[in-house]
Amino acid sequence: MTTGDEPTALLDVDGLTVQRHREVLLDAVKFRVRRGTVHVIVGPNGAGKSTLVSAVLGQIPFDGRIVMHWAGSGAIGYVPQNFVVDPTLPVTVADFLALTRQRRPVCLGLAADTRRTIARLLDRVGLSGLETRPLAVLSGGELRRVLLAHALDPTPELLLLDEPTAGLDEAAVGILDEIMLTAKRTSHTTVLMVSHDLEQIRRVADRVTVLDRRVVVEGSGDILATASVRELLPDVGQRRLARA
Amino acid sequence: MTAFYAWIGGLAQRGLLPGDFQYPFLVRGFFCVLVLAPILGGVSHLVVTRRMAFFSAALGQAAITGVALGLLIGEPLNAPYGGMFGFCLLSTMAMVYIKRHATLPPDTLIGVFHALTLGLGLCLLVALTRQFNVHQVESVLFGSLLTVTDSDLALLIAVGTVVAVLLIREYNHLLLDSLSPPLAKVAGAEPAYLEYFFALLLTVSIVVSLKIIGALLVEALVVVPAAAARNVARGTRGYLIWSIAVAFFAGVGGLGVSTRFVVPTGGAVVLAMSAIFFLTLAARSMRRRPLASRAARG
Repeated sequence: MTTGDEPTALLDVDGLTVQRHREVLLDAVKFRVRRGTVHVIVGPNGAGKSTLVSAVLGQIPFDGRIVMHWAGSGAIGYVPQNFVVDPTLPVTVADFLALTRQRRPVCLGLAADTRRTIARLLDRVGLSGLETRPLAVLSGGELRRVLLAHALDPTPELLLLDEPTAGLDEAAVGILDEIMLTAKRTSHTTVLMVSHDLEQIRRVADRVTVLDRRVVVEGSGDILATASVRELLPDVGQRRLARA
Repeated sequence: MTAFYAWIGGLAQRGLLPGDFQYPFLVRGFFCVLVLAPILGGVSHLVVTRRMAFFSAALGQAAITGVALGLLIGEPLNAPYGGMFGFCLLSTMAMVYIKRHATLPPDTLIGVFHALTLGLGLCLLVALTRQFNVHQVESVLFGSLLTVTDSDLALLIAVGTVVAVLLIREYNHLLLDSLSPPLAKVAGAEPAYLEYFFALLLTVSIVVSLKIIGALLVEALVVVPAAAARNVARGTRGYLIWSIAVAFFAGVGGLGVSTRFVVPTGGAVVLAMSAIFFLTLAARSMRRRPLASRAARG
């Protein structure tokens, strides 16, 4: 990742190729994420969506170019697709959220400022009062909202969400939509999201990239209605019907 | 130190301290436990969270080889620290490097190292029997308070202080990396650095504990306190406090038992620790039972 001077794009991906055990997971992927937009990556299972996110975060080796054009803090907020918590691990929600919000080791206690920040963040994702609850007993939806709270502070210039609606009920999806749109409007946060939720994509996406190891098509949310995309994403269609 | 031990002994004779404190080696042992409890208790809860129990066992075995190497190159029988530190640090670096670069599961790779170091250690120990009676290295295998010197205690305090300072500096990143390496990386931590960093801290903590606990049992001291703490703790603060408390009380209890019944200190400490583990397990199930019946009624 490097810093450039492109004024309208926050992220430029060019010729991104990722291979693992001689299998090509991403093949010369090229797309651009415009600053202050919600850009959604959609594709069938095994299309390389999470691999793309890992490459953008610099967590896996790749060929090609990924260029970040930071104009502000350069902070990245990230909600991973997988976050497995050991069921006997005695780490509370407040402990977890404090890990990056104070220098003092969380095992020596939380500072008053940190407690206030955590209370504010939990309130923002509709989980007020959950500070002392162990991470291990949270439902999948609650855990995802805690991860979202974690990603929102400090205010990210780029918010990366990998399947953020998995396990969320309708109300929680609504909160997520509102948070994304508020962050985009008030903080000019750019959102790059991997999603399977067609309804949500239609509501929030400014731009959609359909991925199947390479970019199949790119455009506004309307491209999801095209026959070629619907044929490529049968599982997405089923999920939408299940929700309805 | 002689004056200090005499002063403590005087307090014990006047009945102000337990009678055992009349003996300098027991005072030294008590101070060892006092230093070891926060080091190993603190390291322990991260070992369990980072799933490094098997790694710790392999390090204990590597220490046996380290002792044998140290003696072969002419180090004193009661302090072969050069061989132990050298070989254990080398093994740690190799294990972490190969674990990070190989595609095999970590436990398989550590199993290979475990077998390799143990095999090498046994061969070297047999070679050593031409120079020493193998029973002379027994204290390193099983731990013995009788062989702990003031220099060992000083080394323990120095290493303990360094380990504590470094752990406090990186604790939050280490815990976040245990929960999710991608989140730790986004937060500015470097998972590769953290993995080497913690493995090295664990190695030096284990090596300085060997004379008290013993190479064969040291794994227990970096696993059982945290395992017991998990049964009763409800947050990271409680997790740390309970881990240290279990290490301390098991250390003191084991010390008392080993002097009264003439059994190896390491074995006695581990037995005391295991007893505490089962007590906490019982406490946990008793705490859960009323909750379950309340849930069934409600």
